[in-house]
Amino acid sequence: MYNFDFVKPSSIADAVAALAGEDAQPLSGGQTLIPSMKARLNAPGTLVSLTGIPELVGVCREGDMLVIGAATTHAQVARDAAADFPGLAALAGQIGDPAVRNRGTIGGSLANNDPSACYPAAALGTGATIVTDRREIGADDYFQGMFTTALEEGEIITAVRFPIPQASAYAKFVQPASRFALTAAFVARFESGVRVAITGASENGVFRWAEAEAALSSDFSADAIAGLACSPDEMIADLHGTAAYRAHLVGVMTRRAVAAAG
Amino acid sequence: MQAFGKSQGGTRREDIRFLTGQGRYLADIAPANALHAVFLRAPVAHARITTLDVDDARALPGIRAIITGADLIAMGITASVYAITLPDTRGGKGAAPHRPILAHDTLRHVGEPVALVVADTREAAMDALDAITLDYDDLPVSLSLTPGGPEIHPEAPGNLALDWRLGAADAVDAAFAKAAHITKLDVRQNRVTAAPIEPRAAMAEWDGTRLHMAFNGQGVWRLKSELAAALALDPENVHVTTPDVGGGFGMKVMVYPEHYALAAAARQIGQPILWVAERGESIASDNGARDLSSTAELAFDADHKIIGYRVRSRVNLGAYNSQFGQNIQTVLFSKVLTGVYDIPAAEMHVQAVYTNTTPVDAYRGAGRPEAVTLLERTLDMAARELGVSPFELRARNVIAPDKLPYKTPMGETIDVGEFARLLHRARDLGDAAGFPARRAASAEKGLLRGMGLAYYVEAILGDTSENAALEFTEDGRVRLFVGTQSNGQGHETVFARYLADLTGIEEELIEIVQGDSDLIARGGGTGGSRSVTVQSTATFQMTKTMVAAFADFLARHTGAGPFEFESGIFAAPGTNQRFTLLEAAEIARREGSPDLLRHDARITLDDRCYPNGAHLCEVEIDPETGALRLDRYLAVDDFGNLMHPMLAEGQVHGGIAQGFGQAVLEDLALDEDGQILSGSFMDYAMPRASDLPMIGFESVPVPSKNNPLGMKGCGEAGTVGALAALSNAALDALWDQGVRHVDMPLTPQRIWGWLQQAKAQA
Ligand SMILES: Cc1cc2nc3c(=O)[nH]c(=O)nc-3n(C[C@H](O)[C@H](O)[C@H](O)COP(=O)(O)OP(=O)(O)OC[C@H]3O[C@@H](n4cnc5c(N)ncnc54)[C@H](O)[C@@H]3O)c2cc1C
Repeated sequence: MYNFDFVKPSSIADAVAALAGEDAQPLSGGQTLIPSMKARLNAPGTLVSLTGIPELVGVCREGDMLVIGAATTHAQVARDAAADFPGLAALAGQIGDPAVRNRGTIGGSLANNDPSACYPAAALGTGATIVTDRREIGADDYFQGMFTTALEEGEIITAVRFPIPQASAYAKFVQPASRFALTAAFVARFESGVRVAITGASENGVFRWAEAEAALSSDFSADAIAGLACSPDEMIADLHGTAAYRAHLVGVMTRRAVAAAG
Repeated sequence: MQAFGKSQGGTRREDIRFLTGQGRYLADIAPANALHAVFLRAPVAHARITTLDVDDARALPGIRAIITGADLIAMGITASVYAITLPDTRGGKGAAPHRPILAHDTLRHVGEPVALVVADTREAAMDALDAITLDYDDLPVSLSLTPGGPEIHPEAPGNLALDWRLGAADAVDAAFAKAAHITKLDVRQNRVTAAPIEPRAAMAEWDGTRLHMAFNGQGVWRLKSELAAALALDPENVHVTTPDVGGGFGMKVMVYPEHYALAAAARQIGQPILWVAERGESIASDNGARDLSSTAELAFDADHKIIGYRVRSRVNLGAYNSQFGQNIQTVLFSKVLTGVYDIPAAEMHVQAVYTNTTPVDAYRGAGRPEAVTLLERTLDMAARELGVSPFELRARNVIAPDKLPYKTPMGETIDVGEFARLLHRARDLGDAAGFPARRAASAEKGLLRGMGLAYYVEAILGDTSENAALEFTEDGRVRLFVGTQSNGQGHETVFARYLADLTGIEEELIEIVQGDSDLIARGGGTGGSRSVTVQSTATFQMTKTMVAAFADFLARHTGAGPFEFESGIFAAPGTNQRFTLLEAAEIARREGSPDLLRHDARITLDDRCYPNGAHLCEVEIDPETGALRLDRYLAVDDFGNLMHPMLAEGQVHGGIAQGFGQAVLEDLALDEDGQILSGSFMDYAMPRASDLPMIGFESVPVPSKNNPLGMKGCGEAGTVGALAALSNAALDALWDQGVRHVDMPLTPQRIWGWLQQAKAQA
């Protein structure tokens, strides 16, 4: 690890001000950032901690929306979202291990946009709104490819607004070593139609599976997509799965998510 | 006095220390003024160095020394890293190319040490790494186990380091010529890494005359003699110690390049130096394991009796000979080549090949899991081809009790064993009869269930000699000096309780001393499932001579006698003279008989012993994803007498978990340039507790005749049996889908791929 300065502001405004400094970077749960700093792959000059800002923490129901503060841990989401949005709570409860869930946060996960991360599937799969210190970004515009988002330099996520679906489920096939998603599907049924988001599979990061959405919108059953195949083009190929295997898992995991959502 | 007293129960005396953070591992023992060492390592698998410039790095703040291969040579340190060679069937010995301590002209594997940086802090040392210039011209990389790839050493044309044969090829050919059935199977055994929880580490210090090296190894004496030779020191002036060790598994047995470099640096700087490997560094530089491709052929007569066995193996040595590299898939493999079966003719031929990979050496079982996996998988295939049950085919071929002791075609003499009994016990206890119903229940859920059987035999290895010494201390306690080396197995518990049992000295008064070359002149360390058997035999012998000496002394002292020793008390029949050992020692001290305050013994076992047993497991495979879940596991083991049944069972659990790791998860994968693809735990999949079911264990002891305790050793057995049992179960699950071959690791992607292939071929 290289040396760095550390500040822990208690308001969003102070955090944004601190982030205007040279080489400053937000630190949330540190479950991604700290390991990369230890490996000397990342060398911020100043870390601006977001976990001491009360407005960034919490799970709150607002009408048909569930609003989650950016610095809310996975463990808290697993607990506090269970009644209103069980599909999301179950997803949060499957991230990493207890230590990771007790520190890692939703804002950190969405800002990082790891192609194998879980939360991006829920955000895109519900059409959530990413709220930042300066604007609101729809999920369809927010995710822009592996580790790439619409966030600007110094912009921080403050909250995520999830529309609560009528039914939803996350089906995750774990990568055997990391237990991130090798391929996972988040399926959400709304009155207006069904959304399907796939993580872990594509070289372009999380994506919506349009054919499945169309089929499921008219018939929300695993059978409705039984014959549907996802193209292996632009799928990730690595030690743990070929492109063809991942494309196959897209179908399997989507069907399982639909079955679980009921 | 009985050699095997009562078997022990209860928890481990080490546990409180370990579980409350009081363990003293290598990083804990470094003095406060220790400097920090890091190594610059080869970033590519094969290249010629054109520039190695450390001048800028040396000028950075906090840098105390940077040592390159050229610097070592300038210090007169030109040793090759220690390794043995075997006789080669082509004549002479296997290749022994120079393995430099620090690579100075050619890089031969990713992770090879190139320079040692010593600094006030670890961060400063890391900064210096960034400032070193290492330029090189790439050379063609050879990763193939087939001889003939791009040359790595001129001493080994075609990279063939060793050609090794054992057994009577003529007799085997004759058996195959008259065989009623021949089964042939190719088996690839994947490369894995030991990944102990405590990475390799060492601390070196120099006081002007003597070198002290602390390292987390498996025995201190080889490192002592190697460092003395390499640094031209009097062996008296080399002190090697080992504190608590967080797992070794065979991988920490060896002398590594880092040890020599740290010793040289400590002598130059005169201040203690600590090196602790990072995880990725360990994966790249710890000796790798397994990594071989074999073809096995079994010849049967019309009654399904095996009449001949032939094995051809190509094995990866890595870029250089490691300490025991040449010995593993040859000599050690041969010890159990024919398992527990009555096979009249067998032979093996091994080609050991250099590749541009980290050296490969011993790992839990070292050659025996590989041999047993090959044989047990081939036998399973034969049972399918012959249309008989895997239990029946094995039962028909195991060595019958009246043939024991039995000399195998490889020259091993198995003393005792009741193989058919254990086999049938596993079948019954494991409810093999209920398997069809469980398979049907799995099928209801859309899952494929398979059952896998393996009968393993292990030959305990390592030094068959060991010593024990006991010292009475002035404060009324005793110290037992042992030549073994705990790596976390619980030796302190077992050795202290055994001594207490033999002598009546309270366990709390017994201190176990290990891992110190000044205090213990020699020893065999830990490895090959040897420790409790050989150490306890030495302790028993030492106790016998000690008791005899005190009986004489007490007779002289009291004028009574003769004294008998029973339940910890010396008594002279017909008198009221009674003494405990500690009381007798106190009298000896008072009366000025210091020779009675220290006792030594050294023993050599009559012969090795052969732990064996049956593993039976069931897996469930999800055909849609290829995911395999281990549902049931049972081990029925003959370890002879069990010194501490709970610790023995723990060894079985850990061994099976490690076997599961290799069979299902672990894969030290390389790309075509020799770069490691699974270089961290993000990609190198270790087994987790949640991967394993409760493991059934039953002990069926048939005491060995080759040691007075009737023990057999249990440290590696779990791993030896698990690889074949799991592979056989996976194939059994997939067979009806048309899959005809599987190889480890049984990962979801690979299983799904085999199912797809089978579908395409149907
Ligand atoms: C062992 C392990 C297993 C894991 N398994 C999984 C898994 O199964 N599924 C999964 O999805 N994830 C997994 N993770 C990742 C985990 O979920 C992390 O918590 C998450 O990726 C990052 O969240 P964080 O709060 O720790 O962010 P940090 O590490 O603090 O930050 C990550 C990045 O986001 C930036 N950032 C943080 N907060 C904000 C913000 N509010 N606005 C803008 N930028 C911000 C930081 O500057 C940094 O670049 C795992 C991690 C570990 C260590």
